[in-house]
Amino acid sequence: MKKMSIRNLLVAMTATATLGTAGTSYAEDPIRIGGLYILSGSAATYGEFAQRGINLAVDEINDSGGILGRQVEMIYEDTQGKASVAIQAARKLVYSESADALVGLDSSGVAQGMVPTMPELQKPLIITHAATPDVTGKLCNAFTYRISVNVAQNMKAAAMVAAETDATKTDATNWTTIGPDYAFGHQSWEFFGNYLKEINPDVNLMSETNFPRFGAEDFTPFIDRVMDSDAEGVLISVWGGDLVNFIRQANNRGFFEEDLEVMFTVGAATEVLTALGEEMPEGVHLSTRYWYEAYDNDTNDRFVKAYLDAYGNPPSYNAEGAYAAIYAYKQAMEAAGTTDGPAVAKALSGMSMEAPNGTVTFRAGDNQAMVSPNWGVSGPMHPEHGIRTLTNLQIFDGEEVARTIEATGCKL
Amino acid sequence: MKTKVLMAILAVVIAGLIAVPWIASYFYVFIFTEILILGLFAASFNLIFGYTGMLSFGHAAFFGIGAYATALVLIHLEWPFLACLLVSMGASALLALMIGFLSVRLNEVYFAMLTLAFGMMVFAIAYQWRSVTNGSDGLAGFTLGSFGLGLDLTLANPSVYYHVVLGIVAIAAIVLYVICRSSFGMILKAIRQNPERVSFAGLNVRTYRLVAFVIAGIFAGLAGGLIAPFLRVASPELLHWSMSAEPILMAILGGTGFFLGPFIGSAAFVLLETWITTYTESWMLVLGIILALMVIFFRKGLLGTAIDWWMEVKK
Amino acid sequence: MSGIGAALLNSLDIGLLLFIIAVGLNIVFGVLNIINFAHGALYMLGAYLAFTLINIAGMPFGAALILAPIGVAILAVIIDRVLLRFIYSRDVADSLLLTFAILLIINESVRMIWGSGIHVVQPPDLLSGSVSLLGSSVATYSLFVIVIGLLLLAGLWYLFNRTRVGRIMRAAALDRDMAEALCINTRMVVTGVFAFGAWLAAVGGVMAAPMRALDPGMGDKIIIESFIVVVIGGLGSFPGALLGAIILGLIHGFGGRYLPEVNLLLPFVGMALVLLFKPNGIMGKGANA
Repeated sequence: MKKMSIRNLLVAMTATATLGTAGTSYAEDPIRIGGLYILSGSAATYGEFAQRGINLAVDEINDSGGILGRQVEMIYEDTQGKASVAIQAARKLVYSESADALVGLDSSGVAQGMVPTMPELQKPLIITHAATPDVTGKLCNAFTYRISVNVAQNMKAAAMVAAETDATKTDATNWTTIGPDYAFGHQSWEFFGNYLKEINPDVNLMSETNFPRFGAEDFTPFIDRVMDSDAEGVLISVWGGDLVNFIRQANNRGFFEEDLEVMFTVGAATEVLTALGEEMPEGVHLSTRYWYEAYDNDTNDRFVKAYLDAYGNPPSYNAEGAYAAIYAYKQAMEAAGTTDGPAVAKALSGMSMEAPNGTVTFRAGDNQAMVSPNWGVSGPMHPEHGIRTLTNLQIFDGEEVARTIEATGCKL
Repeated sequence: MKTKVLMAILAVVIAGLIAVPWIASYFYVFIFTEILILGLFAASFNLIFGYTGMLSFGHAAFFGIGAYATALVLIHLEWPFLACLLVSMGASALLALMIGFLSVRLNEVYFAMLTLAFGMMVFAIAYQWRSVTNGSDGLAGFTLGSFGLGLDLTLANPSVYYHVVLGIVAIAAIVLYVICRSSFGMILKAIRQNPERVSFAGLNVRTYRLVAFVIAGIFAGLAGGLIAPFLRVASPELLHWSMSAEPILMAILGGTGFFLGPFIGSAAFVLLETWITTYTESWMLVLGIILALMVIFFRKGLLGTAIDWWMEVKK
Repeated sequence: MSGIGAALLNSLDIGLLLFIIAVGLNIVFGVLNIINFAHGALYMLGAYLAFTLINIAGMPFGAALILAPIGVAILAVIIDRVLLRFIYSRDVADSLLLTFAILLIINESVRMIWGSGIHVVQPPDLLSGSVSLLGSSVATYSLFVIVIGLLLLAGLWYLFNRTRVGRIMRAAALDRDMAEALCINTRMVVTGVFAFGAWLAAVGGVMAAPMRALDPGMGDKIIIESFIVVVIGGLGSFPGALLGAIILGLIHGFGGRYLPEVNLLLPFVGMALVLLFKPNGIMGKGANA
């Protein structure tokens, strides 16, 4: 035992020797923003999109004088989509890399685990993708904000869309779901069902629901099950690569020829549309948290053009959320006149800003941005972008689709 | 002379570990907490791998159930922390007894595959039993109350928590070391080298393997009980097979033939990950290359290689 | 009734694709006593190479089906010569660890070369669309997968039982020293078998490309499934791999439809049951575990 300790000592000594060097910061240093995204594995594409959006914002801001006269610098950490990894990564960004503020989070599970630790870090976090309602609900705190649409907002809008479909207007109105078998899929169905019942008490929410495991690759059994059932409407919350597989397999099965109202809650994500091309059927309801052709304003025009110039395809919702979050920090830091964590967090509360998706306000009661999902119906192919267009676009009132503050369970 | 030098080195290391919150930057308090907890996890694994020769691919089941047990007790019963840890150890002991009873009869690859299957079954249950485990999101939002034994400790303070972890891991490591050095530990080593001979000597190999498996499970559960309040979350990925791969990598990296090997491996793994991810997003690539080199050329691990070198020099 | 027919065909489709992927894993284990953790990564490489050949280079699907697996097999020869040759004489744990390292390296390399986006390969025109069978519509491509899977099975049976190469492989599997004493170059057999296993993984990857979206995590998704197939059927037995693949296909095809609550748990329960009661697998021989 004694002999073995020599190596232990060496490790401890080298570790100790390097400790003192990190963690100092000077007033004229750049402002450092930490990005926490999935950068490896199946969902790495979401981290990459976020990085693209952020890079555009950071370049624009730095070219026009930075924030408070200081340049902005990004530091990224890979969350691997795991809460345990993300929490240690956030600690590293704040304590070791001296990040002034944090953006990120793609996964709801990561958000659920990380958000309760934010008050300890004393730095603001703007969530740009993860959609679990709880982090601007019962787990909310003064340091956590979300600029992207959450599940509750998207499902309220979905219920409003569903209420207008033929399936719901007829007498027998059976709705079911196909969603990934984890919190997101189950929550989507619960919120959708509750909102739809409120609008139209006659709808029948079928007890036979379908939750294939996340990453299942083969969805045919679930597609068949819905086709054999009495369902007239189906809410599909499968996303990403799984959704690409789902739609191709559904095409093979003739799923879209059935007399069904089909609603995809994350169907208009550009990465999915790009991969699918013409395989995405026409005439189905698709939603996304941000559709690049939905908004007619200067900020959006500039963002979409810059994105197309830089990367050659239209921006995804994840790029937009991350892009806007950097501008949110610019505005909040300038309003606070400092990069001090609690002060910036306070400045974000109730703040309104111009984002590509219009004027966005972080509601003071729960720190959720009052934004609208974009629902539409898939139309003909876009002549240049190689993806389906969205027709019958619907943008909802951000306040209207949001839960009331009492309903969120958030006490700030 | 040698003994004195080594005693001195050990004393310096212990003093250094105790002093981390005062001599290192704040972030390294978290890093060393993680190193200690994962080191205990890897050391518990090495009792069955390095000592007994059983490659388990489901060790995360015990780590994870320990984390979930502590999280559940904190959420629903709000017991003192020491009591939570005892529940974690009890829960992992029971689970290890069940899985071990069914698994230890198999060898090598079959043992590895069966423990993988059981580990993933536990993962699947935690992932889908939403009413108890909160499904894929895991359990979060619990806070530590008192420590127990009437000690007045502010566990929410990371430095205090670090010292608590250091104390508990030190005690656990001593207990593990005593077990390894006992006649029981010697028999385990003999089983690894030649199970037939041990069997001919009239000893029941399967019972010894089962006892080793349960002890390893208990200490993994203890490490899990320590990780939950540290991460503030108990989530299904702590039970996934990729989490079972971590103690294997750490044990190999540090050296499976030495008691302190897994701790060195844990330190090397965590520090390398921290430093390398600062410069590149391709940490997995670097890890793969390091692991390949270790397996091919430095099979004795960092510690074994260092000791070989030292023995050469000091001759 | 049509529901059962559809589920049955779907199970066969999933099962035979799994067979194509897992049988290589099984042969490598049977002959070389190596559990190849990187097998899923080689499968992924096959799919990505097919993507490049078809979507970028504009080759027909058939050409990709021939070229991509050859490319992966060549890489496997390099992996064998540079890395694996060190650990053949060591125990199984070392091969698991080294191939795990190779998996990490390939995964990250794929992400660096092809990016993290989702890619899709179109089935050839001849095989797109669907036909009516057993009272339900089936994708033509699924039938193609089933046919190729069965052809491969027949080819493997012929190779192992009717050719000299197959007999040499079986001899090497039984006793490498004895084979060497009979003037068989076991060094070449070892490299050849590993490359052949990789070739099969890549054939699986090319076959999967038109039906599964490509992303840098696709290898990880398939490797545990392959382990389950191989364990259920019997480590080292390639008819066992077929049986294991079809059983897992049935678990997915019917479990997804009729027992959705436990569809994550079921495959592992099946794997554990087989290991407990017949450790060598359903088609395995003897009980020397």
